[in-house]
Amino acid sequence: MKARVLYVAAAALVAAALAFPLWGFAMAAPQYPDETLHLEVTRTGIAGDVHEVSILQHFIGVRFPTELPELRWATGAIVALAALLLLAAFTGATMFGRVYRILCAVALLAFLTASALVVQARLYQVGHERDPSAPIRSLHDFTPPLVGPVKVGNFTVWSFPHIGGVLLVTAAALSVAGSRRAAA
Amino acid sequence: MKRHPVILVAAAIVATLAAVHTMGCGASRSARSLAAEKVYVAPGELDKYYGFLSGGQSGSVFVVGVPSGRLIREIPVFEPRAAYGYAMNDSDPRRQELVATGGVWGDTHHPILSETNGMPDGKYLWINDLANGRLGRIRLDYFETDRILKIPNLQGAHGIAVVSPNTKYIVVNGEFEQPTDGLVTNPAPYTSVVAFVDPDSMEVKFEVRVDGNIDIADTSKDGRFAFSTVYNLEQGRDMGSMIQYDRDALAAIDIPAAEKAVAAGRGQVRNGVPILDPEQNPGLLTLIPVPKNPHGANVTPDGRYVIASGKLSPTVTIIDAHTLKIAAEPEVGLGPLHTTFDDRGNAFTSLFLDSQVVKWNIDKAVKGAPDYIVDRIDIHYNIGHLQAVGGDHMHPSGDYLLALNKLSKDQYIPVGPDLPENQEIIDISGEKMKMLASFPTPPEPHDATFMAVSVLKPLVHQTYTPAADAVEAGKERVVRTAPNEVTVDMTLIRSAYTPDSVQVREGDRVTLKVTNVETIRDMIHGFALPDHNLNIALAPGYTKTITFDAGRPGVYWYYCTNFCSALHLEMRGRMVVQPKDSTITLPDWHAAANVQGQVVPGVPSTGARQ
Repeated sequence: MKARVLYVAAAALVAAALAFPLWGFAMAAPQYPDETLHLEVTRTGIAGDVHEVSILQHFIGVRFPTELPELRWATGAIVALAALLLLAAFTGATMFGRVYRILCAVALLAFLTASALVVQARLYQVGHERDPSAPIRSLHDFTPPLVGPVKVGNFTVWSFPHIGGVLLVTAAALSVAGSRRAAA
Repeated sequence: MKRHPVILVAAAIVATLAAVHTMGCGASRSARSLAAEKVYVAPGELDKYYGFLSGGQSGSVFVVGVPSGRLIREIPVFEPRAAYGYAMNDSDPRRQELVATGGVWGDTHHPILSETNGMPDGKYLWINDLANGRLGRIRLDYFETDRILKIPNLQGAHGIAVVSPNTKYIVVNGEFEQPTDGLVTNPAPYTSVVAFVDPDSMEVKFEVRVDGNIDIADTSKDGRFAFSTVYNLEQGRDMGSMIQYDRDALAAIDIPAAEKAVAAGRGQVRNGVPILDPEQNPGLLTLIPVPKNPHGANVTPDGRYVIASGKLSPTVTIIDAHTLKIAAEPEVGLGPLHTTFDDRGNAFTSLFLDSQVVKWNIDKAVKGAPDYIVDRIDIHYNIGHLQAVGGDHMHPSGDYLLALNKLSKDQYIPVGPDLPENQEIIDISGEKMKMLASFPTPPEPHDATFMAVSVLKPLVHQTYTPAADAVEAGKERVVRTAPNEVTVDMTLIRSAYTPDSVQVREGDRVTLKVTNVETIRDMIHGFALPDHNLNIALAPGYTKTITFDAGRPGVYWYYCTNFCSALHLEMRGRMVVQPKDSTITLPDWHAAANVQGQVVPGVPSTGARQ
């Protein structure tokens, strides 16, 4: 497949990612039968069962982040990356074009890595920087992994990339594949 | 050593007895486990049918799962119920209706379901109050009473029925006859009425006068006739004179003829309701003679016959529901009270005196075949109503039958002289009936009706959509609206009341509007106010307004009565009632007591403190 096609597709996926939740959380507990709670991180904030989760978290002193300033940066970065990737599709088979495409793939990978680190830092915060005056203080600190489950009290909390996250990772794979092609 | 023949014989007898005993045990064990399997609903699994049982003198409706027989809910109708916060406060519209229509007590007998095409549609359930001549309506989307109607010109609202197949009216029979002109000064003969109630507006559209005691009701499946058994055509005022005639009647009211007569202005209006007199409207009322003092009136699922149960006569009278001619009058047993049906042309009649259910074949009985009795099963004891699942609708399911028995005697562990009522679940899927299980209830189910879980469950809400006047989180307030009036807008959520402090003065009238702002199902909160005779319950999303007098000076902790969260016990707040002449404000009081009205961390504590 031509690099141009791969890059157009990557740019489209990156742009599309903004329309979907980027990261997701699913929380299951015995007293929530067939009503597992869900949170989704979208480009504008946290959505889903926010009401219920915010009631629950005060028991263990988790501070629900009311504002995620990094989301503004992420949105800007995603828009920029989509534009850069689209340009990469038309840079031709020159040396400059190849270098540009490689840089694009590297930028996207760097963005994903940075995002993963930020998310992981936030998750660490959630489990560690808790209100010391919370009703239930016996609960040990915890760190939800980027992908996978963690046991928090009576809840099993799963974190996972949502549709937007999956689109970004797919775009990264396409751009890496594109950067390895000699011709545009 | 020579064996003694007596010992040998004895040993043989013992061995035989032991073998027989073991075999017998095995057989009964397997019969037991077969029966248990038919009614066993494992934890977490759901029943197949909703069973709605009238609560009798409990004034309510019991919701029971079938086949498990588990009591799942009680829906209070004519009696306040603190646990559900039903009709507990003067400002509660249901309480106002109850007080205005005869009191906070009722005697419910017959639960009936709204129908579409002859099958229950899950919209409403109606229930009568025999004692006070009322009709209650329950919304099945929320399982709550939404209207109480006093039926004018009638005492003893007994038999009720939905006019099939599409719930055109609710028929309500007045059992206790009254002076014809409604006056006690007139020695004129007594009479009763059958009322026809609009299902949506709950208005009585018209009434038809019937002499005697109008008993159990049913309607033809095509909407043409309202049938009622009528006893005491003698119009006797004491028992001896009520049982003189050989035959009383099954009354058939021609509904289209009644509507025409009402439209033509032939009704005599009393208390706002036109009453039709059959003597002036020929063809309106047909009395079909049946053995004296009959009881049940039940229309076959196919709409072909209406069956009057003989009570004092060991017979049922099978009447053609179109021609109103008697088709047959077979003997079924002693004390036949009510009849229900399976999906294979069989009828089941309760026999009060025999304490049995008798199964008989309708076609064979009509044709006079000698073998119309199919089976009998013993009941414990003195069965009143019985209802097969769907037997009162067009498509019976033919699987389970519920016997509602008046006496339980030795069936349960003794609990003093007031014994529980006994219900028995019977398997009617085979040729022979099989007793499956029994369950007790508080007093006193009379009748039952059923709905498939697959049909009703999708229509049932588990949280309320907040009403337009609901209190929103963040908009709580305490306002003095008049010199002696305080209005409180409050929200409830795990695990706090907002506001958690309310200051009022002795002599104040407090109006409290409270909204449960939870959105997750089953997160019910209560509001109990000690020494104020007050408890309400609020399901998620629900708003209630209550008014009460502040009472004597003091500190009253309002608290949650419905166990909610790990901080349920801490979920409370204070109503501080200050003496009339006190000038201390709530912040002063807080300072003095050195406690800030602190809300649980994390819970929105935006309630305005006044």
